[in-house]
Amino acid sequence: MRIVAVDPDSCVACRNCEYTCAFQQTGDFDRARAHIRVAYYPAERACVPFTCMHCAEAWCMEVCPAGAIARNEETGAVEIDAARCAGCKMCLLACPFGNIGFDEADGVSGKCDLCGGDPRCVGSCISGALEYVEVEDAFAFRREALDTRLRHVLRLDKGRP
Amino acid sequence: MRPAGVMRRHVAIVGNGAAAISALETFRTHDRDSRVTVASAEPCTAYSRVLLPYYLRRKVPYHHLFIRDAAFYRDFDADLLLESAVERVDVGARRLEFADGRNLPFDRLLLAPGSSPVRPPIPGLEGPEVQHLWRLDEAGRLDHLFRQGARALVIGAGFVSLQAVWAARQRGLVVTVIELAERILPTVLDDAGARILQECIVASGVDLHTNTRTEGLMRDERGTLRVSVEGLPSFAADVVIVGTGVRPNDHLLAECVEPAQRGITVDDTMQTAIDGVYAAGDVARGPVVGGGPRTVHALWPTAVEQGKIAGANLAGARATYAGSLSMNVTSMFGVTVASLGRFAAEEGDTVVLRDDLPGLRYLKIVVREGVPVGAVALGGAAAATALGFLRPFVRQRVPVADIEAVVTGEHVAGRIARGRAIGRVVPGGSGS
Ligand SMILES: Cc1cc2nc3c(=O)[nH]c(=O)nc-3n(C[C@H](O)[C@H](O)[C@H](O)COP(=O)(O)OP(=O)(O)OC[C@H]3O[C@@H](n4cnc5c(N)ncnc54)[C@H](O)[C@@H]3O)c2cc1C
Repeated sequence: MRIVAVDPDSCVACRNCEYTCAFQQTGDFDRARAHIRVAYYPAERACVPFTCMHCAEAWCMEVCPAGAIARNEETGAVEIDAARCAGCKMCLLACPFGNIGFDEADGVSGKCDLCGGDPRCVGSCISGALEYVEVEDAFAFRREALDTRLRHVLRLDKGRP
Repeated sequence: MRPAGVMRRHVAIVGNGAAAISALETFRTHDRDSRVTVASAEPCTAYSRVLLPYYLRRKVPYHHLFIRDAAFYRDFDADLLLESAVERVDVGARRLEFADGRNLPFDRLLLAPGSSPVRPPIPGLEGPEVQHLWRLDEAGRLDHLFRQGARALVIGAGFVSLQAVWAARQRGLVVTVIELAERILPTVLDDAGARILQECIVASGVDLHTNTRTEGLMRDERGTLRVSVEGLPSFAADVVIVGTGVRPNDHLLAECVEPAQRGITVDDTMQTAIDGVYAAGDVARGPVVGGGPRTVHALWPTAVEQGKIAGANLAGARATYAGSLSMNVTSMFGVTVASLGRFAAEEGDTVVLRDDLPGLRYLKIVVREGVPVGAVALGGAAAATALGFLRPFVRQRVPVADIEAVVTGEHVAGRIARGRAIGRVVPGGSGS
């Protein structure tokens, strides 16, 4: 399966991905409701987009007491069925990455569903920071790069193994 | 291929709730051959108790309470016995005895019968208006009793009771809550958190009395229930919800319940003292994160986790459980309430208290020797997200230098610290 991989070195914080995601998911350009978020760190002059990794062992899915979270067989995406979601927020507490949002208006949780296999955020990325790649590539290469970059911008690498 | 004449191993699962379903699903990822029987006391496929208050609130329709359908049991090749309450486990003969006299031999057994509400010894606490909110049929009866303007008495102010109160208010009932203890939600919130929620409850129009005893109920000449409560004028009630606690259905294996304890004792493989007999969920007294005495954590996530371990081991997989971590979240009376782990501070602990973080009205984190061990958060959805960020640290016992960095999403030092605490997470499902 493929996921949306992030290269923080290339991100320029234009937030196109957030706007595109919000529009795709809600029909509106309210960034706060997007399922991808670009964190901008002014002191470190760094920006990093974050979105769901569709974990192989997705705890949000296992723990959902409404049976509302399932894996899409075709795309591999971990998806929330808004019709079944009771709004109990157990998935928000289960996700260690903060990648599940809550729609106060409808009282349901929401997250990235890979737009059914054609993630719009990737198409709207102007700098090549987002790519839709096979998981193995995303993990072996991209995540390492992400951690290294984060350490670098924080000057944490010195004196560390 | 199995040699001819060798019987298929028979695995019996008692119960059809969170732990049982999780066990069955995990078992079948390891073992497609053995025969499996699921025995349930209730007349339907698996449903979610957690959703019952949401059903009463009309947030979840009746048919969405069912989290598995008949096809599920076919797909997982399990015989589902409905309305089949197990009365006794004959450990010597390795068979289940049902209330109606049937019996069923097993090779391996999982006990996942959950817990049952207790009814306090209050005189006159009986009749069709008096209900627990625990099983599906009870929720259905409450749904009929929840008429606009009806007068409800709720005895007890625990997690389930208060969700019932919130549902009743949303349905337009007039609600009085009587709690014997000094405060609401002792196991879910600290004092300050409970005070905030208590204000929200009162602001929603609920008549809430803590530190108060329900003395008894009587019927007046028209047959209406009248309630006498210490220190209050007596009042009429059309609905009475009894929420004064639950106890594990551990009588099924009393020999594995320690004196003066509750719950069937299990080791970190979810096995009881009897070989091949496992217990999981609300009925099990198992290991907890961070060590210490075994505990019954009667919570949905714990039932799922324990069921998973038991399911693997019923198939001989040798899985071990790192221990349960209490975690609660719900939204009621307009506020999201969440808690995690051991949030009662002990001497020598550092307590982080914040009321100025975005989306959080109240945040308390208890830090013991540099390691966060528990937390309480009230506010918007951010309360759940913040404790979600913190959970890996509590679970893996990872020290935190900058707590604020960890619980607020947009902080790079927190990101890195979290990355370390979470360890290796494998993204992607199928094909990875
Ligand atoms: C109204 C309500 C709200 C809740 N809200 C939350 C929440 O928000 N968060 C949370 O973490 N937890 C919540 N809980 C608790 C949660 O539902 C339980 O912790 C969880 O369901 C335990 O799972 P289990 O599999 O151990 O037991 P259960 O899910 O209770 O399942 C037990 C099963 O065993 C069957 N059974 C019982 N006795 C027998 C017998 N003798 N023979 C055969 N079958 C038997 C029952 O019919 C049932 O199928 C709530 C509970 C209730 C009632």
